[in-house]
Amino acid sequence: MLDMALPLIMDALANAALIFFVAVGLTLVFSVQRILNVAHGSFYSIGAYIAASMGLWLISAGLNPWLSFPALLLSAALVAMVLGPLVERTLIRWTYGRHEAIQILVTFGLFLILEDLQRLVFGVRSIYQDTPMALLGVSEIGGIFYLNYQLLLIVLALAVLFGMRFLIKHTRLGRLLVAVVADREVSLAMGINTDRAFVLAFTLGVFLAALGGALATPTTGVAPGLGAETMVLAFAVAAIGGLGQIEGAAVASIIVAGAKVLAVYYAPAFDTVAPFLVMLAVLLVRPNGLFGTATTRKI
Amino acid sequence: MMLKVDNLEVEIEGVQVLRGISFTLESGKTTVLIGRNGAGKTTTLRAIMGLLPVVSGTVSLAGDALLDKPAFARAPLGIGYAPEDRRLIAEFSVRENILLPALALNMAPAERKRRLDETYALIPQLETLDARPGGSVSGGQGKMVALGRALMVADRVLLLDEPFQGLAPALALDYARALKRLKAEKRDIAYMITESSPDLLSSVADETLTIERGMVSGGTVEAI
Repeated sequence: MLDMALPLIMDALANAALIFFVAVGLTLVFSVQRILNVAHGSFYSIGAYIAASMGLWLISAGLNPWLSFPALLLSAALVAMVLGPLVERTLIRWTYGRHEAIQILVTFGLFLILEDLQRLVFGVRSIYQDTPMALLGVSEIGGIFYLNYQLLLIVLALAVLFGMRFLIKHTRLGRLLVAVVADREVSLAMGINTDRAFVLAFTLGVFLAALGGALATPTTGVAPGLGAETMVLAFAVAAIGGLGQIEGAAVASIIVAGAKVLAVYYAPAFDTVAPFLVMLAVLLVRPNGLFGTATTRKI
Repeated sequence: MMLKVDNLEVEIEGVQVLRGISFTLESGKTTVLIGRNGAGKTTTLRAIMGLLPVVSGTVSLAGDALLDKPAFARAPLGIGYAPEDRRLIAEFSVRENILLPALALNMAPAERKRRLDETYALIPQLETLDARPGGSVSGGQGKMVALGRALMVADRVLLLDEPFQGLAPALALDYARALKRLKAEKRDIAYMITESSPDLLSSVADETLTIERGMVSGGTVEAI
């Protein structure tokens, strides 16, 4: 039992890292734009497809396999720079301030379009591209082998967590975003280009989701349905952590991934529902999530 | 001539709030807009700031049409605005609230400091609040902070929406003194101050306009 604890924790943390990238983007966009983007999971799967395709191309072109690491980052940046401004300017901006039902319908429509587009472009077969994971190899701790790639995921998730905190507390963009979140009208009157703030925040959200997807490809591969699957987990994280809470998203990612991994280890039949059972339990006790409050909204 | 409002009409959710108002704010002059609650004072200032859709009419700053520009273009043009309900950012310190327009406009640090020092010199009360969170100051102190924040950019026009509303007598006196200092020091600014009671501002007003049910009566003092 005890010698199972360390691998279990490592698995949970690595899973939590991947979910966190998506959830933190979702929560950022919700804070700044006040919109729950149902299509957010699609950016994760698109990031995954682009990263896998780029990785396969690198190998087939006979380039240095270590280039597959910058390729992961590049894929996420590419997805964000193309889709972020495009989707925000053409579609999302029209939903600001509208009823939640309209926002959900519009972003759900976008989700369906993006899902079909992915099938059209990348086909319906699964793609595996695990070069980065294979390159990093394994470490032995106490007789048990761990994938170094999992450790990298955990380190990167921590970097995103602290990076986001730094952005919000200490950068010009972050402070302007806090002002826009707190009071859009005063922000405009004080000279903040709120449209640009919205595009930037949305693009950053897309980047984080796509980064999660890109980083996930070496561990899980990509197949149709990945976006939806991830989205539901990210929603569970948002519900548990409280929407708009970055630290909440971090803790909730660990809870959700922990529930999933525990189920995989001890009750595999329940691995899909376990995160949502935990979510239900949390929401019964704290309807606004562990860190959420009914009135304040933070980023 | 500085800021000119011409035949401005504004509807809010289908209800006509401003019915073709016109007036001019002159540099160095203080125009006081008097009207009861709901008369259209706040709507007038918000429309000038581009925060409301306008049905018809024009607003121009030194001949430059303002309504075609996005709302955030007002601050860089030197228009400062202090809303009636203060609207401070609760998560920011008082100093950070005052500096928000400087941050938004990406002012150089030296310029930022010069303007902050100038603002603190005009409203010394702000310096003592400096580090307090914006969410923790009283309503009256908040009005002072909102004035300081507006001053950071108000090189040409300063719009103050009911600054004396709900101010305790001591603070009202402080605020009035700050206004007097401001008028003496900053002679190029065109001031507009709205108020529900005509008595409070009689000493600072160069011109007094009255707004009633969305119509400005009397026009400017010269017009009467």
